Amino acid sequence: MNIQVTNLIKKYQDKTVVDMNSIGFLSGNIYGVTGDNGAGKTTLLKILAGLESHDLGNIVYNDQPLGPSLMKKITYLSQTPYLMRSSVYENIIYPLKIRNVDSKIIERKAFEIMEELQVAELRDQLATQLSGGESQKVALARALVFDPEVLLLDEPTASIDPATIEIIEEAIKKRNKLQNMTIIMISHNIDQVKRMCDEIIYMKKGKRI
Amino acid sequence: MALLMEGLKEALLLLFRFDREVYGIIGLSIGLSFTSTIFSAIIGIPLGLYLGIKPFRFKKTFTRTIYTMMSLPPVVIGLLVALFLSRSGPLGSLGLIFTPTAMVIAQMILITPIILGIVYNDAKQQGPAIKQIGMTLGAGRLQTLKLLITEMRITLLIALVTGFGRATSEVGAVMIVGGNIKGHTRVMTTYIAMNSSMGNYAVAISMGIVLLLISFMVNTILYHYVTGE
Ligand SMILES: Nc1ncnc2c1ncn2[C@@H]1O[C@H](COP(=O)(O)OP(=O)(O)OP(=O)(O)O)[C@@H](O)[C@H]1O
Ligand SMILES: [Mg+2]
Repeated sequence: MNIQVTNLIKKYQDKTVVDMNSIGFLSGNIYGVTGDNGAGKTTLLKILAGLESHDLGNIVYNDQPLGPSLMKKITYLSQTPYLMRSSVYENIIYPLKIRNVDSKIIERKAFEIMEELQVAELRDQLATQLSGGESQKVALARALVFDPEVLLLDEPTASIDPATIEIIEEAIKKRNKLQNMTIIMISHNIDQVKRMCDEIIYMKKGKRI
Repeated sequence: MALLMEGLKEALLLLFRFDREVYGIIGLSIGLSFTSTIFSAIIGIPLGLYLGIKPFRFKKTFTRTIYTMMSLPPVVIGLLVALFLSRSGPLGSLGLIFTPTAMVIAQMILITPIILGIVYNDAKQQGPAIKQIGMTLGAGRLQTLKLLITEMRITLLIALVTGFGRATSEVGAVMIVGGNIKGHTRVMTTYIAMNSSMGNYAVAISMGIVLLLISFMVNTILYHYVTGE
Protein backbone atom coordinates (compact mmCIF):
# COMPACT_ATOMS: atom_id res chain seq x y z
CA MET A 1 0.00 0.00 0.00
CA ASN A 2 1.25 3.49 -0.85
CA ILE A 3 0.80 6.26 1.68
CA GLN A 4 0.92 9.94 0.80
CA VAL A 5 1.03 12.63 3.49
CA THR A 6 0.54 16.32 2.71
CA ASN A 7 0.74 19.33 5.02
CA LEU A 8 0.24 17.30 8.17
CA ILE A 9 0.04 19.19 11.45
CA LYS A 10 -0.59 17.71 14.87
CA LYS A 11 -0.77 19.77 18.03
CA TYR A 12 -1.09 18.88 21.67
CA GLN A 13 -2.64 21.93 23.26
CA ASP A 14 -0.57 24.74 21.72
CA LYS A 15 2.52 22.68 21.03
CA THR A 16 3.08 21.53 17.46
CA VAL A 17 4.33 17.96 17.68
CA VAL A 18 4.27 16.94 14.01
CA ASP A 19 4.68 19.28 11.04
CA MET A 20 5.27 17.48 7.74
CA ASN A 21 4.99 19.19 4.36
CA SER A 22 4.95 16.23 2.09
CA ILE A 23 6.12 12.71 2.54
CA GLY A 24 5.35 9.53 0.67
CA PHE A 25 5.75 5.86 1.52
CA LEU A 26 5.78 3.31 -1.27
CA SER A 27 4.68 -0.29 -1.27
CA GLY A 28 7.52 -2.72 -0.71
CA ASN A 29 9.91 -0.21 0.84
CA ILE A 30 11.27 -0.03 4.37
CA TYR A 31 11.51 3.44 5.89
CA GLY A 32 13.51 4.34 8.94
CA VAL A 33 12.43 7.18 11.20
CA THR A 34 14.99 8.52 13.61
CA GLY A 35 15.53 11.62 15.75
CA ASP A 36 15.74 12.92 19.31
CA ASN A 37 13.39 11.89 22.10
CA GLY A 38 10.19 13.87 21.82
CA ALA A 39 10.75 14.66 18.11
CA GLY A 40 7.26 13.37 17.26
CA LYS A 41 8.14 9.97 15.78
CA THR A 42 5.65 7.94 17.79
CA THR A 43 2.95 10.54 17.20
CA LEU A 44 3.55 10.40 13.43
CA LEU A 45 3.22 6.61 13.39
CA LYS A 46 0.08 6.67 15.52
CA ILE A 47 -1.50 9.16 13.14
CA LEU A 48 -0.61 6.94 10.17
CA ALA A 49 -2.14 3.98 12.02
CA GLY A 50 -5.36 5.89 12.65
CA LEU A 51 -4.83 5.80 16.42
CA GLU A 52 -4.39 9.56 16.78
CA SER A 53 -6.26 12.37 15.09
CA HIS A 54 -4.46 15.24 13.35
CA ASP A 55 -5.28 18.93 13.19
CA LEU A 56 -4.51 19.77 9.58
CA GLY A 57 -3.45 18.06 6.40
CA ASN A 58 -4.30 15.04 4.38
CA ILE A 59 -3.24 11.39 4.37
CA VAL A 60 -4.25 8.93 1.68
CA TYR A 61 -3.66 5.19 1.43
CA ASN A 62 -3.66 4.10 -2.22
CA ASP A 63 -5.50 7.37 -2.86
CA GLN A 64 -8.18 6.52 -0.30
CA PRO A 65 -8.84 8.17 3.05
CA LEU A 66 -8.48 5.91 6.08
CA GLY A 67 -11.64 3.95 6.94
CA PRO A 68 -12.52 0.81 8.89
CA SER A 69 -11.69 -1.63 6.08
CA LEU A 70 -8.28 -0.03 5.42
CA MET A 71 -7.49 -0.01 9.12
CA LYS A 72 -7.74 -3.79 9.11
CA LYS A 73 -4.75 -3.88 6.75
CA ILE A 74 -2.54 -1.59 8.81
CA THR A 75 -0.87 -2.50 12.05
CA TYR A 76 1.16 -0.60 14.60
CA LEU A 77 3.54 -2.21 17.06
CA SER A 78 3.98 -0.06 20.13
CA GLN A 79 7.20 0.79 21.96
CA THR A 80 5.68 -1.08 24.91
CA PRO A 81 3.44 -3.75 23.38
CA TYR A 82 0.39 -4.91 25.29
CA LEU A 83 -0.05 -8.66 25.41
CA MET A 84 -3.38 -10.16 26.37
CA ARG A 85 -3.88 -12.18 29.56
CA SER A 86 -3.79 -15.49 27.81
CA SER A 87 -1.24 -17.86 26.33
CA VAL A 88 1.34 -16.83 23.76
CA TYR A 89 -0.49 -18.94 21.20
CA GLU A 90 -3.86 -17.28 21.93
CA ASN A 91 -2.21 -13.88 21.53
CA ILE A 92 -0.67 -14.77 18.20
CA ILE A 93 -3.85 -16.20 16.66
CA TYR A 94 -6.11 -13.37 17.87
CA PRO A 95 -5.96 -11.31 14.63
CA LEU A 96 -6.85 -14.42 12.63
CA LYS A 97 -9.68 -15.45 14.94
CA ILE A 98 -11.41 -12.08 14.67
CA ARG A 99 -11.14 -12.37 10.90
CA ASN A 100 -12.93 -15.76 11.01
CA VAL A 101 -10.02 -17.51 9.36
CA ASP A 102 -10.40 -21.27 8.98
CA SER A 103 -8.94 -23.13 11.97
CA LYS A 104 -6.59 -25.25 9.81
CA ILE A 105 -5.12 -22.13 8.27
CA ILE A 106 -4.85 -20.48 11.69
CA GLU A 107 -2.80 -23.41 12.96
CA ARG A 108 -0.50 -23.39 9.98
CA LYS A 109 0.10 -19.64 10.00
CA ALA A 110 0.70 -19.55 13.73
CA PHE A 111 3.14 -22.43 13.44
CA GLU A 112 5.08 -20.71 10.66
CA ILE A 113 5.42 -17.37 12.38
CA MET A 114 6.32 -18.95 15.73
CA GLU A 115 9.09 -20.95 14.05
CA GLU A 116 10.32 -17.89 12.22
CA LEU A 117 10.55 -15.76 15.35
CA GLN A 118 11.69 -18.68 17.50
CA VAL A 119 8.91 -18.43 20.05
CA ALA A 120 7.50 -21.93 19.52
CA GLU A 121 8.68 -23.15 22.91
CA LEU A 122 6.79 -20.30 24.60
CA ARG A 123 3.53 -21.41 22.99
CA ASP A 124 1.59 -22.28 26.15
CA GLN A 125 3.20 -19.78 28.49
CA LEU A 126 1.11 -16.92 29.90
CA ALA A 127 1.98 -13.93 27.72
CA THR A 128 1.96 -11.44 30.59
CA GLN A 129 4.84 -13.31 32.24
CA LEU A 130 7.30 -13.07 29.35
CA SER A 131 10.60 -11.17 29.43
CA GLY A 132 10.93 -7.90 27.52
CA GLY A 133 12.57 -9.44 24.47
CA GLU A 134 10.18 -12.38 24.40
CA SER A 135 7.24 -9.98 24.57
CA GLN A 136 8.59 -8.02 21.60
CA LYS A 137 8.93 -11.18 19.54
CA VAL A 138 5.44 -12.39 20.42
CA ALA A 139 3.93 -8.97 19.70
CA LEU A 140 5.71 -8.92 16.34
CA ALA A 141 4.46 -12.43 15.56
CA ARG A 142 0.93 -11.29 16.36
CA ALA A 143 1.35 -8.27 14.08
CA LEU A 144 2.76 -10.29 11.18
CA VAL A 145 0.48 -13.31 11.36
CA PHE A 146 -2.37 -11.69 9.45
CA ASP A 147 -0.17 -10.33 6.64
CA PRO A 148 -0.88 -6.62 7.02
CA GLU A 149 -0.09 -4.39 4.06
CA VAL A 150 1.40 -1.69 6.24
CA LEU A 151 3.60 -2.42 9.24
CA LEU A 152 4.44 0.45 11.59
CA LEU A 153 7.12 -0.44 14.11
CA ASP A 154 7.97 1.73 17.10
CA GLU A 155 11.48 0.85 18.26
CA PRO A 156 10.97 -2.89 17.78
CA THR A 157 14.45 -3.79 18.99
CA ALA A 158 15.07 -1.35 21.82
CA SER A 159 16.61 -3.23 24.78
CA ILE A 160 16.92 -6.50 22.90
CA ASP A 161 19.98 -8.75 22.69
CA PRO A 162 21.98 -8.94 19.41
CA ALA A 163 20.90 -12.46 18.51
CA THR A 164 17.22 -11.60 18.94
CA ILE A 165 17.68 -8.37 16.98
CA GLU A 166 18.92 -10.46 14.08
CA ILE A 167 15.87 -12.75 14.26
CA ILE A 168 13.53 -9.76 14.30
CA GLU A 169 15.31 -7.99 11.45
CA GLU A 170 15.26 -11.12 9.30
CA ALA A 171 11.55 -11.63 9.88
CA ILE A 172 10.81 -8.03 8.96
CA LYS A 173 12.94 -8.13 5.80
CA LYS A 174 11.49 -11.46 4.71
CA ARG A 175 7.89 -10.30 4.96
CA ASN A 176 8.74 -7.04 3.28
CA LYS A 177 10.17 -8.86 0.23
CA LEU A 178 7.65 -11.66 0.02
CA GLN A 179 4.54 -9.60 0.52
CA ASN A 180 5.52 -6.19 -0.72
CA MET A 181 4.71 -4.81 2.71
CA THR A 182 5.14 -1.10 3.39
CA ILE A 183 7.23 -0.86 6.53
CA ILE A 184 8.01 2.22 8.59
CA MET A 185 10.20 1.67 11.60
CA ILE A 186 11.37 4.02 14.30
CA SER A 187 14.84 3.32 15.60
CA HIS A 188 17.54 5.14 17.52
CA ASN A 189 20.08 2.70 16.14
CA ILE A 190 21.59 4.39 13.07
CA ASP A 191 23.44 1.25 12.01
CA GLN A 192 20.20 -0.70 12.06
CA VAL A 193 18.38 1.93 10.04
CA LYS A 194 21.18 2.00 7.44
CA ARG A 195 21.23 -1.78 7.31
CA MET A 196 17.47 -2.21 6.92
CA CYS A 197 15.95 0.79 5.25
CA ASP A 198 15.53 2.10 1.72
CA GLU A 199 15.03 5.63 2.96
CA ILE A 200 15.83 7.40 6.22
CA ILE A 201 13.69 10.16 7.69
CA TYR A 202 15.37 12.34 10.29
CA MET A 203 12.94 14.19 12.54
CA LYS A 204 13.53 17.18 14.76
CA LYS A 205 10.82 19.05 16.67
CA GLY A 206 8.12 17.52 14.50
CA LYS A 207 9.76 18.38 11.18
CA ARG A 208 11.68 16.30 8.69
CA ILE A 209 15.26 17.56 8.39
CA MET B 1 -15.55 -15.98 74.34
CA ALA B 2 -18.28 -18.02 76.01
CA LEU B 3 -20.82 -16.00 74.08
CA LEU B 4 -19.06 -16.75 70.80
CA MET B 5 -18.94 -20.46 71.50
CA GLU B 6 -22.59 -20.34 72.44
CA GLY B 7 -23.23 -18.47 69.19
CA LEU B 8 -21.41 -21.07 67.17
CA LYS B 9 -23.45 -23.82 68.76
CA GLU B 10 -26.64 -21.85 68.12
CA ALA B 11 -25.60 -21.19 64.56
CA LEU B 12 -25.23 -24.88 63.85
CA LEU B 13 -28.51 -25.63 65.57
CA LEU B 14 -30.16 -22.78 63.69
CA LEU B 15 -28.97 -24.13 60.37
CA PHE B 16 -29.72 -27.76 61.03
CA ARG B 17 -33.13 -27.17 62.50
CA PHE B 18 -34.07 -25.99 58.98
CA ASP B 19 -36.13 -23.25 60.52
CA ARG B 20 -38.41 -21.77 57.85
CA GLU B 21 -38.04 -18.24 59.19
CA VAL B 22 -34.26 -18.38 59.32
CA TYR B 23 -33.92 -19.77 55.83
CA GLY B 24 -36.43 -17.21 54.62
CA ILE B 25 -34.28 -14.44 56.04
CA ILE B 26 -31.09 -15.85 54.53
CA GLY B 27 -32.82 -16.37 51.20
CA LEU B 28 -34.21 -12.85 51.12
CA SER B 29 -30.82 -11.37 52.01
CA ILE B 30 -29.07 -13.21 49.23
CA GLY B 31 -31.88 -12.64 46.76
CA LEU B 32 -32.07 -8.89 47.35
CA SER B 33 -28.31 -8.44 47.31
CA PHE B 34 -28.03 -10.50 44.15
CA THR B 35 -30.76 -8.46 42.45
CA SER B 36 -29.24 -5.11 43.37
CA THR B 37 -25.78 -6.31 42.35
CA ILE B 38 -27.06 -7.37 38.93
CA PHE B 39 -28.90 -4.08 38.34
CA SER B 40 -25.96 -2.05 39.62
CA ALA B 41 -23.63 -4.01 37.37
CA ILE B 42 -25.85 -3.37 34.35
CA ILE B 43 -25.45 0.35 35.00
CA GLY B 44 -22.00 0.49 36.55
CA ILE B 45 -19.96 -1.79 34.30
CA PRO B 46 -20.72 -0.25 30.88
CA LEU B 47 -20.58 3.27 32.30
CA GLY B 48 -17.32 2.58 34.11
CA LEU B 49 -15.75 1.12 30.98
CA TYR B 50 -16.94 3.99 28.81
CA LEU B 51 -15.99 6.82 31.15
CA GLY B 52 -12.66 5.20 32.03
CA ILE B 53 -11.52 5.04 28.44
CA LYS B 54 -13.04 8.23 27.07
CA PRO B 55 -11.10 11.42 27.63
CA PHE B 56 -13.42 14.23 28.74
CA ARG B 57 -13.17 17.54 30.53
CA PHE B 58 -13.23 17.56 34.33
CA LYS B 59 -12.17 13.92 34.41
CA LYS B 60 -10.11 14.57 37.55
CA THR B 61 -13.12 16.10 39.31
CA PHE B 62 -15.25 13.18 38.20
CA THR B 63 -12.68 10.74 39.56
CA ARG B 64 -12.73 12.40 42.96
CA THR B 65 -16.53 12.51 42.99
CA ILE B 66 -16.87 8.84 42.17
CA TYR B 67 -14.37 7.90 44.86
CA THR B 68 -16.37 9.90 47.38
CA MET B 69 -19.59 8.24 46.28
CA MET B 70 -18.02 4.82 46.80
CA SER B 71 -18.30 5.45 50.53
CA LEU B 72 -21.70 7.08 50.81
CA PRO B 73 -23.05 6.80 54.36
CA PRO B 74 -25.78 4.11 54.18
CA VAL B 75 -27.97 5.67 56.86
CA VAL B 76 -28.14 8.94 54.95
CA ILE B 77 -29.01 7.12 51.72
CA GLY B 78 -31.64 5.12 53.58
CA LEU B 79 -33.11 8.32 54.95
CA LEU B 80 -33.20 10.00 51.53
CA VAL B 81 -34.78 6.99 49.84
CA ALA B 82 -37.32 6.75 52.66
CA LEU B 83 -38.18 10.44 52.28
CA PHE B 84 -38.81 9.96 48.58
CA LEU B 85 -40.79 6.75 48.94
CA SER B 86 -42.75 7.45 52.12
CA ARG B 87 -46.52 7.84 51.71
CA SER B 88 -46.28 11.65 51.77
CA GLY B 89 -43.09 11.77 49.69
CA PRO B 90 -42.81 12.64 45.96
CA LEU B 91 -42.88 8.97 44.97
CA GLY B 92 -45.19 7.91 47.76
CA SER B 93 -48.01 6.95 45.42
CA LEU B 94 -45.93 4.00 44.20
CA GLY B 95 -46.42 2.44 47.63
CA LEU B 96 -42.84 1.15 47.77
CA ILE B 97 -41.83 2.09 51.29
CA PHE B 98 -41.19 -0.96 53.52
CA THR B 99 -41.01 -3.30 50.53
CA PRO B 100 -38.13 -5.40 49.19
CA THR B 101 -38.14 -3.16 46.10
CA ALA B 102 -37.31 -0.14 48.26
CA MET B 103 -34.45 -2.12 49.76
CA VAL B 104 -33.11 -2.96 46.32
CA ILE B 105 -33.27 0.72 45.36
CA ALA B 106 -31.33 1.76 48.45
CA GLN B 107 -28.73 -0.96 47.91
CA MET B 108 -28.36 0.01 44.27
CA ILE B 109 -27.65 3.62 45.21
CA LEU B 110 -24.97 2.38 47.57
CA ILE B 111 -23.27 -0.17 45.37
CA THR B 112 -23.58 1.25 41.86
CA PRO B 113 -20.84 3.81 42.62
CA ILE B 114 -18.68 1.02 44.06
CA ILE B 115 -18.98 -1.15 40.97
CA LEU B 116 -18.66 1.84 38.67
CA GLY B 117 -15.65 3.16 40.59
CA ILE B 118 -13.72 -0.11 40.55
CA VAL B 119 -14.36 -0.64 36.83
CA TYR B 120 -13.70 3.01 35.98
CA ASN B 121 -10.40 3.04 37.80
CA ASP B 122 -9.08 0.00 35.98
CA ALA B 123 -10.49 1.06 32.61
CA LYS B 124 -8.71 4.40 33.01
CA GLN B 125 -5.40 2.63 33.53
CA GLN B 126 -5.59 -0.34 31.18
CA GLY B 127 -8.44 0.53 28.82
CA PRO B 128 -6.62 2.74 26.30
CA ALA B 129 -3.89 0.14 25.74
CA ILE B 130 -6.44 -2.64 25.27
CA LYS B 131 -8.51 -0.54 22.91
CA GLN B 132 -5.38 0.33 20.93
CA ILE B 133 -4.46 -3.33 20.59
CA GLY B 134 -7.93 -4.09 19.29
CA MET B 135 -7.70 -1.32 16.72
CA THR B 136 -4.20 -2.22 15.53
CA LEU B 137 -5.05 -5.89 15.14
CA GLY B 138 -8.17 -5.19 13.12
CA ALA B 139 -10.95 -5.68 15.67
CA GLY B 140 -14.28 -3.99 15.02
CA ARG B 141 -16.18 -2.10 17.70
CA LEU B 142 -17.94 -5.12 19.17
CA GLN B 143 -14.80 -7.22 19.02
CA THR B 144 -12.88 -4.50 20.83
CA LEU B 145 -15.56 -4.37 23.51
CA LYS B 146 -15.33 -8.13 23.91
CA LEU B 147 -11.55 -7.89 24.19
CA LEU B 148 -11.90 -5.20 26.84
CA ILE B 149 -14.24 -7.38 28.88
CA THR B 150 -12.07 -10.49 28.64
CA GLU B 151 -8.92 -8.56 29.51
CA MET B 152 -10.59 -6.87 32.48
CA ARG B 153 -12.48 -9.96 33.65
CA ILE B 154 -10.74 -10.12 37.03
CA THR B 155 -11.54 -6.50 37.78
CA LEU B 156 -15.15 -7.02 36.75
CA LEU B 157 -15.40 -10.01 39.06
CA ILE B 158 -13.85 -8.09 41.94
CA ALA B 159 -16.34 -5.28 41.33
CA LEU B 160 -19.27 -7.70 41.42
CA VAL B 161 -18.12 -9.47 44.57
CA THR B 162 -17.35 -6.21 46.36
CA GLY B 163 -20.78 -4.87 45.44
CA PHE B 164 -22.50 -8.05 46.59
CA GLY B 165 -20.51 -8.06 49.82
CA ARG B 166 -21.46 -4.49 50.56
CA ALA B 167 -25.12 -5.23 49.82
CA THR B 168 -25.32 -8.27 52.10
CA SER B 169 -23.46 -6.63 54.98
CA GLU B 170 -25.22 -3.27 54.94
CA VAL B 171 -27.76 -2.62 57.68
CA GLY B 172 -28.57 1.08 58.08
CA ALA B 173 -30.25 1.75 54.77
CA VAL B 174 -32.28 -1.46 54.50
CA MET B 175 -33.46 -1.02 58.07
CA ILE B 176 -34.87 2.43 57.31
CA VAL B 177 -36.46 1.71 53.93
CA GLY B 178 -37.42 -1.91 54.62
CA GLY B 179 -38.54 -1.61 58.20
CA ASN B 180 -37.38 -5.08 59.26
CA ILE B 181 -40.87 -6.54 58.86
CA LYS B 182 -41.00 -10.21 59.77
CA GLY B 183 -41.45 -12.45 56.77
CA HIS B 184 -41.41 -9.52 54.39
CA THR B 185 -38.37 -7.25 54.65
CA ARG B 186 -36.36 -8.85 57.41
CA VAL B 187 -32.85 -9.65 56.22
CA MET B 188 -29.79 -11.06 57.99
CA THR B 189 -28.32 -7.74 59.06
CA THR B 190 -31.56 -6.28 60.38
CA TYR B 191 -32.28 -9.58 62.13
CA ILE B 192 -28.87 -9.36 63.81
CA ALA B 193 -29.37 -5.72 64.80
CA MET B 194 -32.82 -6.46 66.21
CA ASN B 195 -31.77 -9.50 68.22
CA SER B 196 -28.71 -7.76 69.51
CA SER B 197 -30.74 -4.81 70.73
CA MET B 198 -33.16 -7.20 72.43
CA GLY B 199 -30.30 -8.95 74.22
CA ASN B 200 -30.59 -12.19 72.22
CA TYR B 201 -26.86 -12.26 71.66
CA ALA B 202 -26.59 -15.95 70.86
CA VAL B 203 -29.12 -15.68 68.03
CA ALA B 204 -27.48 -12.49 66.78
CA ILE B 205 -24.05 -14.08 66.79
CA SER B 206 -25.28 -17.21 65.08
CA MET B 207 -26.74 -15.23 62.20
CA GLY B 208 -23.53 -13.20 62.15
CA ILE B 209 -21.61 -16.41 61.66
CA VAL B 210 -23.87 -17.40 58.77
CA LEU B 211 -23.22 -13.99 57.21
CA LEU B 212 -19.50 -14.48 57.62
CA LEU B 213 -19.72 -17.92 56.06
CA ILE B 214 -21.47 -16.55 52.99
CA SER B 215 -18.90 -13.82 52.60
CA PHE B 216 -16.12 -16.36 53.09
CA MET B 217 -17.58 -18.61 50.42
CA VAL B 218 -18.00 -15.82 47.89
CA ASN B 219 -14.46 -14.61 48.49
CA THR B 220 -13.04 -18.11 48.25
CA ILE B 221 -14.62 -18.55 44.87
CA LEU B 222 -13.22 -15.18 43.79
CA TYR B 223 -9.77 -15.96 45.15
CA HIS B 224 -9.78 -19.31 43.41
CA TYR B 225 -10.70 -17.70 40.13
CA VAL B 226 -8.15 -14.90 40.40
CA THR B 227 -5.21 -17.09 41.36
CA GLY B 228 -6.30 -19.98 39.15
CA GLU B 229 -5.03 -18.03 36.15
N1 LIG C 1 -1.10 12.56 24.68
C1 LIG C 1 -0.21 13.59 24.70
N2 LIG C 1 -0.53 14.76 25.27
C2 LIG C 1 0.32 15.79 25.28
N3 LIG C 1 1.54 15.75 24.75
C3 LIG C 1 1.94 14.62 24.16
C4 LIG C 1 1.08 13.47 24.10
N4 LIG C 1 1.74 12.48 23.46
C5 LIG C 1 2.93 12.97 23.14
N5 LIG C 1 3.07 14.25 23.54
C6 LIG C 1 4.25 15.11 23.34
O1 LIG C 1 4.51 15.14 21.96
C7 LIG C 1 5.92 15.16 21.74
C8 LIG C 1 6.28 14.06 20.76
O2 LIG C 1 6.10 12.81 21.40
P1 LIG C 1 6.45 11.43 20.70
O3 LIG C 1 6.04 10.35 21.62
O4 LIG C 1 5.85 11.43 19.34
O5 LIG C 1 8.04 11.51 20.58
P2 LIG C 1 9.05 10.43 20.04
O6 LIG C 1 9.79 11.08 18.92
O7 LIG C 1 8.40 9.15 19.77
O8 LIG C 1 10.05 10.29 21.29
P3 LIG C 1 10.84 9.02 21.84
O9 LIG C 1 12.07 8.86 21.02
O10 LIG C 1 11.20 9.43 23.23
O11 LIG C 1 9.93 7.85 21.81
C9 LIG C 1 6.58 15.05 23.09
O12 LIG C 1 7.04 16.34 23.46
C10 LIG C 1 5.49 14.57 23.99
O13 LIG C 1 5.66 15.09 25.28
MG1 LIG D 1 8.44 7.30 20.69
